[in-house]
Amino acid sequence: MTAELELRGADATPVKKKERKLAKRTKKLNRSFAGTVFLFLFISVFAIFTSLPLVLTISNAFKPLDELFLFPPLFFVRNPTLSNFSDLFILMQEGWVPFSRYVLNSFIITGIGTFGHLMCASMAAYPLAKNKFPFQKVMFSIVVLALMFSPAVTGLPNFLIISALGINNTYWAVILPAFAFPLGLYLMKQFMEQVPDSLIESARLDGASEFYIWRKIVMPNVKPAWLTLIILQFQGLWVTTGGVFLRSEELKPLTFAINQIALGGVARAGANAAAMLITAAVPITFFIFAQSRIIETMATSGMKE
Amino acid sequence: MQAKTMGQRRKGLSLRGREVFSGFLFISPWIIGILLFFFLNLGQSLIFSFNHIIIDPDVGGFSLRWAGLSHYQHILFVDGSFNRELAESIFDMVINVPLIIFFSLFMAILLNRAFLGRGLVRAIFFLPVIMATSAIEGSLELIMGMMMGGVTSVPPEIMRAETGFDATSIAFMLSEFGMPSQVIDYIIEAIAMLHDVIRASGVQILIFLAALQAIPPSMYEVAQIEGATGYEAFWKITIPMVSPLILTNVIYTIVDTFVRSEVIESTRAMMFTTTTLYDGTSVMAFGQSSAMALVSSIVACIVLLFVGWLISKYVFYYN
Repeated sequence: MTAELELRGADATPVKKKERKLAKRTKKLNRSFAGTVFLFLFISVFAIFTSLPLVLTISNAFKPLDELFLFPPLFFVRNPTLSNFSDLFILMQEGWVPFSRYVLNSFIITGIGTFGHLMCASMAAYPLAKNKFPFQKVMFSIVVLALMFSPAVTGLPNFLIISALGINNTYWAVILPAFAFPLGLYLMKQFMEQVPDSLIESARLDGASEFYIWRKIVMPNVKPAWLTLIILQFQGLWVTTGGVFLRSEELKPLTFAINQIALGGVARAGANAAAMLITAAVPITFFIFAQSRIIETMATSGMKE
Repeated sequence: MQAKTMGQRRKGLSLRGREVFSGFLFISPWIIGILLFFFLNLGQSLIFSFNHIIIDPDVGGFSLRWAGLSHYQHILFVDGSFNRELAESIFDMVINVPLIIFFSLFMAILLNRAFLGRGLVRAIFFLPVIMATSAIEGSLELIMGMMMGGVTSVPPEIMRAETGFDATSIAFMLSEFGMPSQVIDYIIEAIAMLHDVIRASGVQILIFLAALQAIPPSMYEVAQIEGATGYEAFWKITIPMVSPLILTNVIYTIVDTFVRSEVIESTRAMMFTTTTLYDGTSVMAFGQSSAMALVSSIVACIVLLFVGWLISKYVFYYN
């Protein structure tokens, strides 16, 4: 792209210069083909790094057993087969909790948890970002602090609290703590900060209630934020195994079932590969869907300042 | 008419009062959540850190015995590994956080441009977050083990391979080609570092992407009409508009690297083990690990607050 420009510049006359300037401007709008190729190559290098485990997962899911155990290993499948998936379903039918129940559990936990978290976080973020009320600063620092205090090291207190609430061994034991996930609030607050005050003030002057402003003005304007939050929370909840909280087999999520298959070791290798693909496919699909909904917002488009 | 509205207003809350009221109303579900799952947790951990937790197998519960500051004394002055691990974790954090932030901002800017298959490539960069879950990692380990020639014959170092393409296999290949070992070590370190940075950047890239998309395109249009170069537009529009989310990402990255750090790993590993006191009672190490968690959290908090304060001086809020 630059080389081409310099070539043109070699015999620059005033007229040509003007032309060049024009060309430069249009170039900025639509990048040249070479630029796109370079960009694509650059991204590909990194993309290959990160996509390898998935490619391996997909390829393994379709490998017949003899290829799975082949040494030296094959990266790509040679004779793709669906036998791993049928193995998985046969295996799952043998269990006394049907496979569909695990899937349903995963969707219940992920769905309610994500929605509730979105509501809690975005409603709490609105006054933190836009209203003035007492203890605002204190509350916000608590959010940051809560981020730090990792749930990983509070296993026992967490268990005691869940038990004291009487929600042990119910879906709520996993869902309720997810509502209070601090990163979401922090993210929403930072985005809402960017919504012009004048937009909210004008709505207030027109007599809109705070709830109406939140729902109809603030939320649409921070759509990229809450779609991102949904992606993060979906991912976070999809992978929980329920741990110590969900003890009844019929409450366990899909990831737990997959873990159990993996523990089966070599004999379950095929089914394991298929199950892994299913577990990974759901959040990936969700990600692609949610990401495609994120488009540029127009927070300031109606403003004249 | 005028009088009527005045009268109405006097009956209800003032505008300011209404703002405060609705503020609390909006935030209350959150407050309840944070009280339950954060403050109670914190308080409970604090209590545990000052006590020995004695398991009572007959009752099926546990009882507490006052231990004073002995846990803190032990981890800070007696046990040599905690201090070292904490220092290493903080040091890693200082190195990794800027790298992750730069890389993810750069990637987000690239991925924000329009090109074919953009959605797919974005998903690929989020993959490490999806694949780095215990269920999937466990299965991947099993498969890697099999691919390396049967589970039983595989030493644990190779079993732990996180991707199909890890540093060990590259090292092996390069040394076969006759490359000097120092060069290989350097390459391995660089690749492992790059790999770690990419793996840890998924969420940050996503947040930056959202931030970039929240910038009104009209700003760039104006800049272009006024004759600003892409470079100027980046520093005068992109960076200020993204800056609140740089703060978010820095804080998230600090927390994320801290949670994955060595010190937390060992705290977690220790949590449910049991040790024996001098008088022979068996106690759960949760008390000591609570103390470890609290101390390391406090240290990390100090880092977090300092960095947060430093960056928030440069954050620009559109208003």
